[in-house]
Amino acid sequence: MRVELTEMLWFEQHAVSLSELAELTGLSAATLEELVSCGAIEPIDADDPQPRFGAAALSAARHAHRLSEDFDLDTQALPLVLGLLERIDGLELQLRALRARLPGRIR
Amino acid sequence: MKYKDYYAVLGLERGASDEQIKKAYRRLARKYHPDVSKEAGAEEKFKEVAEAYQTLKDTDKRAAYDQLGVQRPGEEIRPPPDWQQHWQPSGDDAFSAEGLDLSELFERLRGGRGRGGGVHASMPGQDYEIAVPITIDDAYGGTEIDLDLNMPEYDAQGQLRRVPHAFKARIPKGASDGQRLRVPGKGGKGFNGGRNGDLYLNISLRPHPLYRASGHDLYLDLPLAPWEAVLGTSVEVPTPGGPVRLKVPAGTQAGRQLRLPRRGLPTPKGAQGDLFAVVLIVVPSVVSEAEGALYRQLESVSAFDPRAHFSEEGSHAR
Repeated sequence: MRVELTEMLWFEQHAVSLSELAELTGLSAATLEELVSCGAIEPIDADDPQPRFGAAALSAARHAHRLSEDFDLDTQALPLVLGLLERIDGLELQLRALRARLPGRIR
Repeated sequence: MKYKDYYAVLGLERGASDEQIKKAYRRLARKYHPDVSKEAGAEEKFKEVAEAYQTLKDTDKRAAYDQLGVQRPGEEIRPPPDWQQHWQPSGDDAFSAEGLDLSELFERLRGGRGRGGGVHASMPGQDYEIAVPITIDDAYGGTEIDLDLNMPEYDAQGQLRRVPHAFKARIPKGASDGQRLRVPGKGGKGFNGGRNGDLYLNISLRPHPLYRASGHDLYLDLPLAPWEAVLGTSVEVPTPGGPVRLKVPAGTQAGRQLRLPRRGLPTPKGAQGDLFAVVLIVVPSVVSEAEGALYRQLESVSAFDPRAHFSEEGSHAR
């Protein structure tokens, strides 16, 4: 018997508070606040007194939790690793876009 | 349960020091961690490494593991009753290794995290993340996929077990490469009032024989015969929504991109990407005598010099 999944959310449609982000990712609120203050995780609107976080933040925070657990990373090293991973993601996206524009091989 | 050689997984001898175990784990984690590794099968390999490290880094668990003796990996083993009695989680007289696999067994032993917080503590369910490869046609029209997942889940006693779950998931149209879907509450069940985990679906697009995707735009090679490119033509072009006619202007150069607006992939917000036909000029590898004669005639009457810029650029350089 298969259960139907109906409520599916695109990451892009997310907007969660800091405490929800903590609950969703397993990171402590204190660690999250630190990652936000150094810019590794960015709220949708930096001037919002009650910051909301979107898809990119959820993805980065999940990465942060896994990396800190599996590599014992401290809050100094985490932002550095997150920043580098983000750059790699961006470069890979660009690479895929450029590859799509190149003519394929003619059989 | 099947025996696993945790030392071999980490590439170590049995007598390895704690420092050597930590070093081996760090080296292998850097190589295989799914967030930083591009190696094929990295995720599976990392799970093995992490499982071995979880047991060997803990003095008690390592001693318990060592007392199982050296077996061949994959061999069926059953921990003897006195072993179970000695290592059972404190306060759990009903502890049984029956039906557990080796990782579950060590998860629960003394000092294990599974019940470390006490039987009554609530624990959030585990998140579960899976890769979902779909075709470009699936992304265009939406699709249904069957998921058979083995999710780590807490049972009534608060113990982690792998529980099979079968889902049917509707992937709405508008998916693109690298997009993610979150299904709230459909990961592992929480224990004792803890929230249920979430299920994360990472969408990737399978390579398509005709189209290449870039975000929601699609690229298609459009091969033209030399005379079609010179004289212009109208060709039928396949698109995911069905074939359309495309006017190729006279004098179309190779590499030019002819845009078909809103013939790419739909976006979740209801917009639609474009389809770009990338012009290639192709020539027949074999020509008939009559064709050959016409090409030679063309050669003799044409003043076209495709490499005129060579001499111009060359003279600039001097």
